[in-house]
Amino acid sequence: MTVIEATQKSGDRRASSLAVSTVQLTKRFGDRTVVRGLDLAIPTGAVCGFVGPNGAGKTTTIRMLLGLIRPTSGTGSILGGSLTDPASYLHKVGALIESPAFYPHLSGRDNLKVLARLGRIPNNVIEPALRRTGMAERAGDKYRSYSLGMKQRLGIAAALLPRPELLILDEPTNGLDPAGIVEMRGLIKSFTEDGITVLVSSHLMAEIEQVCDHLVVIRGGELVHQGPVADLSAGQRPDIVVAPEHPADLGRLIRLLEASGLLVTPDSNEDTAVVTASDASAAELNRRATQGGITLRRISERTHSLEDFFFQLTTEATTNPNHDMGAIK
Amino acid sequence: MILAAFLSEWVKLRRRTLLWSTYLGLAAAASLFVVLIFANAPATGTGGGLPSLQQLARPDGLVFGLTRAAFLLGVVAFGVAAAQTASEYSLGTLRQLLVRQPRRIRLLAAKMLAVITFMLLATAFAAVVAFLVANVMAHSRGVSTSAWFTGAGFGHLLKTLGNMELAVIGYSILGLVVGQFLRSAVATVILGFAWLLVIEQAILTRIVPGTAGWLPGISLSTIAGDGNSGFGVSYKHGLAVAAGYVVVALVTGAITFARRDVTA
Repeated sequence: MTVIEATQKSGDRRASSLAVSTVQLTKRFGDRTVVRGLDLAIPTGAVCGFVGPNGAGKTTTIRMLLGLIRPTSGTGSILGGSLTDPASYLHKVGALIESPAFYPHLSGRDNLKVLARLGRIPNNVIEPALRRTGMAERAGDKYRSYSLGMKQRLGIAAALLPRPELLILDEPTNGLDPAGIVEMRGLIKSFTEDGITVLVSSHLMAEIEQVCDHLVVIRGGELVHQGPVADLSAGQRPDIVVAPEHPADLGRLIRLLEASGLLVTPDSNEDTAVVTASDASAAELNRRATQGGITLRRISERTHSLEDFFFQLTTEATTNPNHDMGAIK
Repeated sequence: MILAAFLSEWVKLRRRTLLWSTYLGLAAAASLFVVLIFANAPATGTGGGLPSLQQLARPDGLVFGLTRAAFLLGVVAFGVAAAQTASEYSLGTLRQLLVRQPRRIRLLAAKMLAVITFMLLATAFAAVVAFLVANVMAHSRGVSTSAWFTGAGFGHLLKTLGNMELAVIGYSILGLVVGQFLRSAVATVILGFAWLLVIEQAILTRIVPGTAGWLPGISLSTIAGDGNSGFGVSYKHGLAVAAGYVVVALVTGAITFARRDVTA
């Protein structure tokens, strides 16, 4: 899928506008290329998951988008401003970069005051940001006394100060307990209701799957996939798990199905066989088994999770940066 | 706006523990020098380099103690300033600041102005406390203070204060820039103190004769002491050399701050 195709496909809301776009964005540290020719196209209003293995270049990319790291080459546009002039767009951007970083001896509220004054943001946005992140009650306490989850929430509150149009969250669920993760998920979903474009990087694929409608996958600094999350599931047929009534019939069942041209993987632990992304329907598989004299005790669909896609995408030995769904079928 | 960034820096600087420890610490150090000078001053002549009670009764008697404490005030200014920039890197807060104020030179200028203002006020506060202590000590040692409150006395007072504040500006700028280069508050303070207190004063000037007039710490200390650094460096020479160091520090600090990738 090309950048243009990705843009067109994901554009059911605001097709023509991209909140973030980059062309051949590259960063080298000495001889090491950390980000290589990245073409991003993130639609306005999307909640975009930004995923990749450790060391894939996610944080370096985010830092380039925020003007903290100077790209070696390439161009880009954020909310209509040029990547070479971060001041033209950063007043509309909120960011939580890696772990939250604040002054330990100041209270949560004073930490936000430092940032609000610096960005010429009125003081009256501090309390709503604290309330929205559930930090209002502890805002007077010193930052060093906060738990990791509270620090993370204060980081989100800081990101909300400029009433952002684009929110960049780098691993926002780091250190959160399950309740905190659910809370963070709700918070991220609420941002879209406010029309905020969200770029969220995370290692938790289940979280990405639940909150994101757009996905960017990078590996080794290169783009592996980008596009709407809906396209991933729409383009995939589920696997079908079949189990014969008598375990002894498993081998015969597999041979029977393979003879029909299907890709079948046995799972001897459970006496089942997995028919991979089959073109055949469950009814057809049942009919073939019956014709072969095998009664099935189980026929079920197994859909692919985002995690499955992620592992396929990031472990494949492809170097095609415009990798699309066809390649992972 | 530099003003917005300046006010933002002051939210950090006005933190009670930093504010009071710096202001009261400096005032206590300056006062201690005054007390020691008055307590140990011989009636006439000089004893161990100390002024006599007769000398302390002259129009410049009020500032004797403060000029002796000037070097210490400078070293503290260096440490406080260095910690302010270095900690932005070690805490990782610089990335937050740069997202809210991407114009880096503006941010750096505001930080420098805020820290310099903080140190100037701290020095002024220390001076006021030291002057009050000097009056009390003069009374207890029977030193007449009438000459202190003459035109000549006020002239000495203003000149001494001006020189001290000038030196504090220099120490603060060097501290801010060194802190920015080393990016570690502890390392910067240790290295800075070692350089100013030991390497310059006790090692370099003894090993390499003639270097005293070209070292940043001694040049600033010459300004602070109104030309009396104990190393035979004239006020004008000290001022010129210190100005050179400050300009070089400002230019290299600004260039690297504006261009360096922020990975912390």
